[in-house]
Amino acid sequence: MCLRSSSYTSPKPCKHLADYKLRHAFNGYDSLQNCLKTTPIGRTRVDNHNTKTPRCNFCNGYQGRLYICLMCSSISCSTHILLHTQSKSGHDVAIDIERSELYCCLCCDQVYDPDFDKVVVSEQIKGSCPGRSNKRRRLNSGMELDLKKSKQLIAMRDGRAKSCYPLGLRGLNNLGNTCFMNSVLQALLHAPPLRNYFLSDHHNRDECKRRYGEKLCLLCDIGALVSAMFSGDRSPYSPAQFLYSWWQHSSNLASYEEQDAHEFFISVLDGIHEKESKVRNSSKDDGDCQCIAHRAFSGLLRSDVTCTTCGFTSTTYDPCVDISLNLDTVNSSAAEKTGLSTLSGCLNLFTRAERLGSDSKLHCQNCQELRDTSKQLSISRLPLVLCLHIKRFEHSLIRKTSRKIDQYLQFPFALDMTPYLSSSIVRSRFGNRMFAFECENTDSSAEYEIFAVIAHSGMLESGHYVTYLHVNNQWYKCDDAWICEVDEGIVRASQCYMLFYVQKLLYYKANKDLSCNVSVESR
Amino acid sequence: MSGPNEDKNTQLSSHFFGDLLDSIIVDVASECHRIAKLGLDRNLEEEEEEMRLSVQARARVADPSNSSETNTKYVVDIFGQTHPSIATEIFECMNCGRSIAAGRFAPHLEKCMGKGRKARLK
Repeated sequence: MCLRSSSYTSPKPCKHLADYKLRHAFNGYDSLQNCLKTTPIGRTRVDNHNTKTPRCNFCNGYQGRLYICLMCSSISCSTHILLHTQSKSGHDVAIDIERSELYCCLCCDQVYDPDFDKVVVSEQIKGSCPGRSNKRRRLNSGMELDLKKSKQLIAMRDGRAKSCYPLGLRGLNNLGNTCFMNSVLQALLHAPPLRNYFLSDHHNRDECKRRYGEKLCLLCDIGALVSAMFSGDRSPYSPAQFLYSWWQHSSNLASYEEQDAHEFFISVLDGIHEKESKVRNSSKDDGDCQCIAHRAFSGLLRSDVTCTTCGFTSTTYDPCVDISLNLDTVNSSAAEKTGLSTLSGCLNLFTRAERLGSDSKLHCQNCQELRDTSKQLSISRLPLVLCLHIKRFEHSLIRKTSRKIDQYLQFPFALDMTPYLSSSIVRSRFGNRMFAFECENTDSSAEYEIFAVIAHSGMLESGHYVTYLHVNNQWYKCDDAWICEVDEGIVRASQCYMLFYVQKLLYYKANKDLSCNVSVESR
Repeated sequence: MSGPNEDKNTQLSSHFFGDLLDSIIVDVASECHRIAKLGLDRNLEEEEEEMRLSVQARARVADPSNSSETNTKYVVDIFGQTHPSIATEIFECMNCGRSIAAGRFAPHLEKCMGKGRKARLK
């Protein structure tokens, strides 16, 4: 199955390479195939099966860079490669022995050919027996749910809408140390898929009571919350019923004390999922679940464990509703250079190949022995709404203490997740070759736009959460009952704890619907 | 202490080191060349712009001469409203029916529902 990839561009060949291809097609590549040797970490070199060290034909040197001619297989060093081209007409293209990269002797530059990369990758794959095939999961793009219907619902609202502010902006009263709840609710209610779902009345409260008769339904409460937020009434709303319902659902978290916003977020998604799976009487695993929580937030993580001795890789997949990231503190090289922790640094840390210690050897199917391994995570399928959680709270079990990491984290407003996709990670493991790897997933975009930031200030025990929302090109600060306009610089400089991004296409569509229609109705 | 052998060893090790260093440098150059040519780093400009904006924002916030948004107390919100530090809206507790002020609802509910540390024995 050959898939076209949009994540790399195929550079135009120089005229010497083009000429060579015209005249010799794949002859040179094919004869080379047997001479390619790949190390377990993915480095491919050209090995002539000689036990002798390769030497330059001109100077007999073996040091520095050596190139093997595609036409006659003679070896020259970088100093004498030009001589070879000049002495034999048509011998323009050679291969760097160490890295298996094409080199045009006349252009004196590294050149690229997807056909050559294909040969190299085929050899690499043959050598390392890849893990089991990935069943492509189609994203349910039923998110364009009745946008027309929700538009109507918004338009029909109460004419009390104060001035020209977007609907949905409304403060939430703090019910007693509940800013952790208020901050997450503000973010969730403005996540386009969730907002549209509830505004389109996909969970009809009357029907729910009639059908299931249960007194408590988290979905009903969220629906009531969304209606209240979009009603046009701008006085702060008290999410008391929601708190009551949630405490019934997560009784272990029910106490009057400051909680962790992230824990609450997971708990709410869990509550939505539980209710929906009860309703549908299904026990589908998270990966295929069609409840609104999973449709919006569910992604798929891929974990590759590679034997460092033979290169055999075993792959597993795990669904996730968010990604928790460790801060790339000054221990990481990038932060050391600039002194600045960045979101991309954290994501790089998350997807880097990590050598597991010798005390955690794993059994390699290929070697049939316990071996040292290297583990690497990547994102196999991106969610519609991407929630990134920054692990600022460290809990040490040994010392029984917890502390907060105040380190500032730079994060972008526009985020391209391409480098962290499985397709990119796997490709880089094979030396960034141009090849249609089977894990290509081109049906969803990797470009995201930020719409909410939950920031935490203060100490671990006595801190405060606020949410910054981006609506209609303006940033608003939601601090419990207080909604204020803020400059984007304030948001950039804030101490982010949870970041909410939505797929770019969905973002622009969603914002179009929210543009306020100022209807001054006299009552 | 430095005889002819000593010099030769030092020279040799310098030579090997130089070779290894050259090899690593070309490796990195080759890798980066491929990444650039294939457009795998096409967002570099956008990323640098985001970084610049963040650094600029931080500098502005840290500047004491700037009236920082985060430090000023709220006067009115965007709708022209003011709010007390403890929410005063009154409603009925759905567990016991008593009238409770919003800002004290959570501690009340905790006792009322019999949960948490301060739970009342029912």
